[in-house]
Parts: sequence; C-alpha cells; structure tokens
Amino acid sequence: MLIRVDRNLQPESSETYRKLINIEPDGTKKEFVLYSVRKDRDKMISLFLAPASEKGRATLRLDDNMWLYIPSVGKPLRITSLQSVVGGVFNNADILRLDYSTEYDPTKMEDAGGTYILDLKAKTATVAYDRLKMTVDKKALVPTVIECYAASGMLIKTLYYKEIKDFGGGIIRPSVLETDSPLYKGYKSVMIYAKIKKRELADEVFTLNYLPRMEELR
Amino acid sequence: MKTRLGGAAALLLFCLLPCPLRAAEEEFSFDMAAFEKKSLEWGGYVELKGEHSDINQDGVASRLNLYREPRSTLDRFGTALQLNGSLQRGITTVNWVLQGSAAQDDLAWSDSAEVFEGYASFEVSPSTTVDLGKKVFKWGKGYAWNPVGFIERPKDPNDPEEAMEGYIGVGLDLIRSFDGPLRTVALTTVALPVWQGVNEDFGERDNLNFAAKLYLLFHDTDIDFLYYTGNSRSTRYGIDFSRNLTTNLELHGELAHTLRQTVRGLTADNTVTSSQVADTSWLIGLRYLTENDLTTIVEYYHNDDGYTEAEQARFFDLVDTGVGQYETTGATTLLDKAASLGQLYSRPQTGRNYLYARLTQKEPFDILYLSPGITAIVNLDDQSHSISPEVVYTGFTNWEMRLRFSWLNGAEMSEYGEKQNSNKLELRLRYFF
Repeated sequence: MLIRVDRNLQPESSETYRKLINIEPDGTKKEFVLYSVRKDRDKMISLFLAPASEKGRATLRLDDNMWLYIPSVGKPLRITSLQSVVGGVFNNADILRLDYSTEYDPTKMEDAGGTYILDLKAKTATVAYDRLKMTVDKKALVPTVIECYAASGMLIKTLYYKEIKDFGGGIIRPSVLETDSPLYKGYKSVMIYAKIKKRELADEVFTLNYLPRMEELR
Repeated sequence: MKTRLGGAAALLLFCLLPCPLRAAEEEFSFDMAAFEKKSLEWGGYVELKGEHSDINQDGVASRLNLYREPRSTLDRFGTALQLNGSLQRGITTVNWVLQGSAAQDDLAWSDSAEVFEGYASFEVSPSTTVDLGKKVFKWGKGYAWNPVGFIERPKDPNDPEEAMEGYIGVGLDLIRSFDGPLRTVALTTVALPVWQGVNEDFGERDNLNFAAKLYLLFHDTDIDFLYYTGNSRSTRYGIDFSRNLTTNLELHGELAHTLRQTVRGLTADNTVTSSQVADTSWLIGLRYLTENDLTTIVEYYHNDDGYTEAEQARFFDLVDTGVGQYETTGATTLLDKAASLGQLYSRPQTGRNYLYARLTQKEPFDILYLSPGITAIVNLDDQSHSISPEVVYTGFTNWEMRLRFSWLNGAEMSEYGEKQNSNKLELRLRYFF
C-alpha cells in the first residue's frame, strides 16, 4: 500500500517544478520556486529558481546525507534534515522528501470507510519525524492528511494534500500540499506542484561535483 | 507566535526601502511560463555600505598607515554591483561573475572593476566536464579557513561566504557513482599557467602548474585528497573530511603539508630574510544545531607558516622605530620598509594558532527572517581577539540588511591589539535582482 502511494505521488525518476509559499498570520507571503529532480528511492536535488536572492542555491540529498550549495560560497556544505533553508513551516526533510516507504515502516492499517489510516514508524533515528499518521484516499490511493510526530509523541506539523490534478504521463496526484504546525501558530506553508514529468537521469547528477551545474540540467 | 521585525528596526527598513514590498493578498498561483528554461540567465545584486571606525591610534597599523594624517575616526561609504549569469548552447555553457565597487572615505576615493569568473564549461556527459577560463576552485571543508585551498585566494574569515576572484586555467571533472559504501568518486584536475598578464599574483612567472582533488563519498563521509605541484609555488599535499555524526552535529577537518614553504621575515637587525621550511597546517571544526535553531560553528586552526609572537614583535618594533625616525628627522626609510612588508604582516591572520566561533540564532523571539549572530576570532598565542555581533534581516523579498559591530581587543604587541581599528560599525544593504 505504502509503495503504491509513493508511486502515485511521484515516479521514481522524475523532474518537478513547484512553488513554496510561506504565509504569515497577517497574510504576508514569501515565495520560492524550486526545480527538483529525483532518482530511485534515495537521490534528490532541488534548485532554487526564485526569488533572486536565493537563485542558484541547490540542495542535494543522498540517503540521509544532505548538502547545500550557495553560489557565492562556491562549494557544498553539509546540512541537516531538521534545518530549513527557506524558513517557515517546511524544513529540509519536507523539501527533499524521499519516498515514505524509504524512511518509514507501516505498523498498522485501518479501514475507515472512504479512507485508510496508516501508522508509520521511522526506520532510523536520523529520519526527521519519528512517527506519521497517514490518511489515504481509497480511490486515488494518495494521502489526504499526514500528521507528523516527534519521538516524544508531540505533534510537529500536519500536511494536507489537496486538489488532485492530471499532470500527464499517467501521473494523477494532489497538486497542492499545505502544512501548519502548533509550533508556528497562525503560520502556514503551501507547496504548489506545476509540472511533474518522468525523466531518466545519470547517477552522476546526484553528486557534489555536479551540484554547481544543476541549472544546465533544465 | 512568530512576528515580523517590529519597532524601530522595521521603521528603519521601511525608510530605507523605496516602496512597500509586502506581497499583496492573492490566491495561490504559479505561472510556469516565467520559469521555463532560457538560454541566457542573469542576475546579481547592488549594495550600499556605510562604515564608521574608531582608530586605534596607539596601534602599529594606524601609525604605519596614517602617520602623515593621524586621526581618531574613519568613515567610509561604498557601493558595489555584482553581475552574474550564464549562456547555454548545447553542451557549452559560458558563465561569468563580474564585480565593480567604489568607495569614498575620509581620506580617499577608491574604485575597482574585476572579472571574478569568466569561463566556458563543456559538459561532454554528466560524468565528464571540461572548464576553460577564469574560475574559482574552492577546496576544503573549513568554514573560516582552508589550508587545503591550494589554488584559491585566502578568504576573509570575517566574511567567508563572499564571492572571490578565481584564476585562469583549464579544469577536467570526472565523476563516477556506485552502489555500496563507496557512493561517489570524483576527480578534479586543473592546469594553471602563470605567465605575463596571466595569474601573475599566484606565484613565480613562466610556469605551468597542476592541481588535483580526488573526492570520495565513503560510508557517508566526504573525503578529499588534494595535490598541487608546479614551480610557481612549492609542492603540497592535503586531505580533508566532513561527516554528520548525528542529525544535528557535523565534524570536519583539513590537513595540508607543504614540502618547502618559502617564509619571509625580519631578523633582529631588521634584515628581511627568506628561508624554506616544511609546513604542516591543519584545522578541525564542528557545526552544531540545537532544537531552538541555534547554529554553532567552532574551528581550531594551526597556521604553521604564521609568525611567532617574537617574530611579529620585530615588525612592530620596526614601525615603532620608523615613526620615531619620521618624527625626529622627517625621513621615512624605515616606514617605507615596513610598508613593503605589509603584505606579509598585515594579512588577515598572521599568527600560528587560532580559534573561530560563530553562533547564529534563526528567528529568535519569534521574529521571522531575522538572524542575529556573533563571531569571535581569537589568536590563541597572544589572546588578542575580535568579537563581532551582527543582525541580518531578509524579510523583504530580494532585500538583505546586515548590521555588524566589530570590536578588536588585545594587549600591546599583540595581533589584534595593533590593528588599525579598535572597533567598526557597519551597515550593509543589498538588493538582489
């Protein structure tokens, strides 16, 4: 079930354009546009296209390893999953998310009428959230709500998948991901997916040496 | 609840910015057409910077640099423009970073225009790339210092994230990825000529130099083996590593060995001597992130070709004697000699052992996009130091404001005790486009 949910959300090897919006309680917004590529279950890169102050920044994830490349710094630096390179409610683990089945083991599944409720437990202590409670739409087999918990049992954030859209190439999935958090009361972050396309990529793209050249991949 | 920057600081920002930049209320939209790939991409920033320095009038640096016009303060106002971009055609991409700056202080006007980078990149395949032209090769894992940065200019630990000027050369980049504990192997080789008008500030002229870096991602650890040889500088070897020990703790290190490093210095009778020594410089550091988003970077740096306290004191004595000579006779022979050694003795770090510590707190007191921080650089041999608290605000899209105060302190005849400034207040505003 979890693997089918993963495949419905994203092909194993693909490229994606998405916009990330941080919304403050007074309605003020800050927007980021990201171009991302991924391969297999453990490789992903995101390149910032906007705003201009962030343009050219790129993040690479290989399993639990994450690096940030800033053009002026000129070399990738290691970062951690709990940091956030954009501020707001989304952290690096949300932006560079691998397949749920790569990081979590299902421990329980309930049939709740039109949905399934999955309890997921992190495979290792290095995963950003210790436990997830995932509500899955029975028809579309995509998540609708995911609650993210710390090891202490504290709710860290809730993710809401919305607005199912046909992206072409057999990819039908939610086009909007919203999140809020009791740690950021009144704040909301939204991710809008504009384009998801299957794309075959060489393994060598997912390396530190290639990271400064990410723009050439588009 | 998190809030935006309030009070006087917000008022200051609103006064500085030309128009309200707060995004209007609107529904979520994503116009993909605006982000389709274009063959020509460009951007950059424009900067305004104001500085006020209190001069350390008893310090050797101010007595050497300002002996004709002694003063207690120095104000400076400057502006800079950086343009970067790329033009892609097939497998060829031309990249550039250009920077122009101008500044007026109480004493003089200065300006410069530099090509930091300008090179063509030929991507034969994702695993093979050739670079030709002026490019920055930043090697090493250290944040403030990079003893293994064999073919880069020394960076300023007070601003280690700023763009730098590269060198002209030819580079070849080969990458292979694998499954298993060895995930990546990448070899970077660079041929770097030093001819008339080409890389002349790198070292001795009329030589072709060679540098290489072999990178491994092995058992989730970044490891580099580095090598430089050529007649412009002496041969050197290096190794560095970086690894996340936990999800919030990273450890890194560098070690560089130079077979015959040429070291110039003053003898007791003020004669300039030159000798060759084997030199092993190294650095160890960590980066730690707390649950409250406090990032700490700490690095210890042993600079093996730095000057001892006694060696440094000879230079201070030379300036002292030179000022005495000028005041009594008007002659500047000794001060001219000291000024000619300024490149050696006025480098950012001239000592042998340093501690660097930087703490930055992301969005404290629930103020979004605000990052206060404090940086300390300590010369462990003479205990002199600089301490620089700062605050950075990025709440307005494409604007960055940084306010920084630097306080330099140390005993007489110590590195920071003899610097030109006793403190400096700096306000920097950047607009990115």
